[in-house]
Amino acid sequence: MNAVRSRYIGLLYVAPAIVFVAVFVAYPLGRLVWLSLTNASLLGGARFDGINNYIRAWKDATFWTSLGFTIKYTLYITPILMGLGFLAALLTAENTPLKKLTRGVIFLPVVIGLGTSSLLWWWLFDQQVGLFNRALIDLHVLSEPIVWFTHAEVALWAVIISVVWKVVGFGMILFVSNIQGIDREINEAAMIDGASYWQRVGRIVLPLSYRTILLATLISAIGSMLAFEQFYIMTAGGPQGHTFTSVYWIYQNSFVFFKLGYGSALSVILTLIIVLGTAMQIFLTRRRERT
Amino acid sequence: MRLARLAGAFALGVSVLAAGSLAASAAELTMWVRASGANAAQHLVDLWNTKHDDKITLTVIPDDQMVTKLATGVAAGDVPDIISFDLIYMPDFMKAGFLEDLTDFLNADPNQAKVAQAYKDLASYEGKLYGTGFTPDVSILMWNKDLFKKAGLDPEKGPTTLAEVHEDAKKIRALGGDIYGFWFSGACPGCNIFTMSPLMVASGAKILPKTAEDEPLQGPGVEEVLQFYRDMWSEGLIPASAEADNGQNFVGNFKTGKIGIQGAGGFLISDLKRDVPDMNFGVTFLPGINAGQKSSFVGGDVVAVPKGSKNLDIAKQFIAWQLSDEGQLEGLAKNNILPSRADLSKNQYFTDPRVVTTAEAIGLGYVPWVFHFNDMVNSNSSPWIQMIQTAVFQGDVKGAVATAKDAMKSIASE
Amino acid sequence: MTAIAHDLPVQRGAAVGAAQSRSIYLVAAICVAIIAMMLFPLVVSVLASIKTPDEAVAVPPNYLPHQLSLANYLKVFSYQAGLATYVFNSLTVAFLTILFCLALAVPAGYGLARFRIPGKEVIFLFLLASLMVPYQALLTPLYLMFAPLGLTNSYVGLAIVHTVLQLPFSIYLMRHSFEAVPRELEEAAVMDGCTSLQALKRVFLPAIRPGMVTVILFAFIQSWNEFIAALIFMGKETMFTVPIMLVSVRLGRFGTVDWGALQAGIIIAIVPCVAIYVLLQRYYVAGFLSGAVK
Repeated sequence: MNAVRSRYIGLLYVAPAIVFVAVFVAYPLGRLVWLSLTNASLLGGARFDGINNYIRAWKDATFWTSLGFTIKYTLYITPILMGLGFLAALLTAENTPLKKLTRGVIFLPVVIGLGTSSLLWWWLFDQQVGLFNRALIDLHVLSEPIVWFTHAEVALWAVIISVVWKVVGFGMILFVSNIQGIDREINEAAMIDGASYWQRVGRIVLPLSYRTILLATLISAIGSMLAFEQFYIMTAGGPQGHTFTSVYWIYQNSFVFFKLGYGSALSVILTLIIVLGTAMQIFLTRRRERT
Repeated sequence: MRLARLAGAFALGVSVLAAGSLAASAAELTMWVRASGANAAQHLVDLWNTKHDDKITLTVIPDDQMVTKLATGVAAGDVPDIISFDLIYMPDFMKAGFLEDLTDFLNADPNQAKVAQAYKDLASYEGKLYGTGFTPDVSILMWNKDLFKKAGLDPEKGPTTLAEVHEDAKKIRALGGDIYGFWFSGACPGCNIFTMSPLMVASGAKILPKTAEDEPLQGPGVEEVLQFYRDMWSEGLIPASAEADNGQNFVGNFKTGKIGIQGAGGFLISDLKRDVPDMNFGVTFLPGINAGQKSSFVGGDVVAVPKGSKNLDIAKQFIAWQLSDEGQLEGLAKNNILPSRADLSKNQYFTDPRVVTTAEAIGLGYVPWVFHFNDMVNSNSSPWIQMIQTAVFQGDVKGAVATAKDAMKSIASE
Repeated sequence: MTAIAHDLPVQRGAAVGAAQSRSIYLVAAICVAIIAMMLFPLVVSVLASIKTPDEAVAVPPNYLPHQLSLANYLKVFSYQAGLATYVFNSLTVAFLTILFCLALAVPAGYGLARFRIPGKEVIFLFLLASLMVPYQALLTPLYLMFAPLGLTNSYVGLAIVHTVLQLPFSIYLMRHSFEAVPRELEEAAVMDGCTSLQALKRVFLPAIRPGMVTVILFAFIQSWNEFIAALIFMGKETMFTVPIMLVSVRLGRFGTVDWGALQAGIIIAIVPCVAIYVLLQRYYVAGFLSGAVK
């Protein structure tokens, strides 16, 4: 096929998506940046304010604590998700009926909404009517009910448990497809050489899954940095705002305090942080790949 | 011949047009209502629809999204014809210019004069009126008569001072097990402005600042009430789950019959009668420190007309109608909903004296007129809830009040 | 292709054989335990939804209902405009979202995977960029943009917003699905004189069908469950979607919760997603496998 024609035809195919994103993402994003330079209120009225919102953000203690909390949440949950997902994949990669069933059940929570899952767990953790404490006591794992939501650290773990339940299946499936794609011969050669199961995992599976793991980790981390709904539903930011994530604090400012301009500035800052983090991660891994 | 036929056709055409335009004159109005007020609003709207050609349809908006919805609607010119919402948003909405000026219209209506003072105050801004009471609710104190009897207390005598609440709660907790003397939702800012602040106001306090110059949390009652809660908490009279409760069990708990006394709203009365008909409970005013002091938080929904409403006249008619005897009695009182007119607190439908008490509470209650209510009170990181949590669960009453005062003043000056 | 997992020994001693079968039992036990743990929340939720409303707020809570009742479901079914209306709205928006996603992502994936486009990776990153923005922040500008165009309170408008959310993932999936199709098939079509469009139709579409099904599944799930954009963009009760109704039906004043209605709502929200997942399971699992992330 003619190379030049090929290029233009290719562009033609991608064009609709590009136009769509330009109109419905880039333009509102531009308006968002514009809003961040005003003192716009949700209740109307907007006056150009320069970079005052950004200066205010710098001095805003809650913004920084929420950012710290979000990063902490991301750092806790990402390895758990990836680790458990990988282990689950190792467990269920074989296509026996029981393993396929296990795989299906682990994946099942992925298809219910995050809001629905958060509500479900909010009910389960409730001090009065929740069954989670009761079940743990009945199983003799606990002797006394845990109070989940009066301390930020414990509340964080409650949310992590619920999100892991919901999302671990997604990572598992990615890794399963990877494992199943590994050439049989490599594995058999290793077995003949006397490698144990875990040695094979470490020396064959992990390296061959490297790119998948990296990509999955990146997507998961970005998602965690943007976490909102699960905290909104389960902790409502409490106690006393100690479980506000960055997006939750943006929501509070824009929609509860009506400070649309300020909330927009916070959104821009958060987006920049995420873009920077992503760029760094891609850059670092590209370098490693080349060496 | 031809002329006659032409004339006939013409006449037919005109009459069809006339009939068509008559039919077209029956309008379809939309009304937004917040989810927790939907039930009450539905009764009024259904009644209106049976008696008028112009029909109103309700659209139910989840409570905490109402402001966003209205704000984005006004910004885009996409508003309903009538709107009813939590009255604490009136100041912000009036200041933002979201609502139609109804001053002349309401002042000409004799029924408006009979509406509870709290609603008239709240719906005024710079001398103009922008709405009126619609589906009120008010906070009262409830006690479980069955538990009182078991604890050796007179089931017909509810507590009339803070000290009495404390004593009664102690005796009920002495019944042991999972029976507790008192309940409040410790992480729910709204529940507590509703049921705790009247205790302070009854004792003489002033709580929220209207402007930056106003001193918040002033007067007797603020520290005393917080201390009173703190004492009950440290004596174990309140279940441990109260600390983290965001309001989800605000009502459910009393229904289990294991709570002796609790601040609640009028809405709970019909709930209890329907869900736990065997429970005997009493209703009284929220007390203050000394005997004879009482107050309540007058809440519920107001009704107003958003700017840009396409059916302003019919909307006004609806507002006038719901203030009329028919609207108030047949629409609200008959369904055990409180009327906003103070003169109707005793009416033929209120046979239950508890409901009468609740209706009377509207007349003696208060409602704060402040901007940024969300910042100051309702939000989960508000100075109000932080003060309560620091004082009650950590014990630092004075420090909590001082911090809250500063925070509220800085919000009021925004 | 189950190389690693297939650990059956070829020529080993009996002792090792015994150890192997013990470990098989252990693995099986672990699987069963995991299945129980993962299903526990869903099972108790179903049980709670068929309790009477009073039992649903009982303290302390029970696992099994003492008395069965459909009162919670009845409350959700008959709320305001009726469940049927909300389901119809949700399904319509989901259908349109799926349509838009496929219409945009399939060609985009094709172009990115099979053609030498200048600045391809930059374009790809541009298309994926919205993943890094908190989408709540985009809602207000989008709403103000849509209002004068009459796209508020419309199925198309909301579907566009949902597509904005789903497009990055869909394009990513489609690109990988296209890349996984062997070159020989495409070359054969070219030698037969096909245009790119014909090649797309005849060769690629059948091959990427599993990937498309995955896109459909995730677009449906996201659109069906989405709440905040639905609330902001729809102005009339009769246009509301299921998630909006579920918030209103379970919440009372000051955040008091009707736990029974909450459970019924959860189950109603879950059922279509699980149904679609089960029906499409064949395709979508294969979709991941064939588009094996490289």
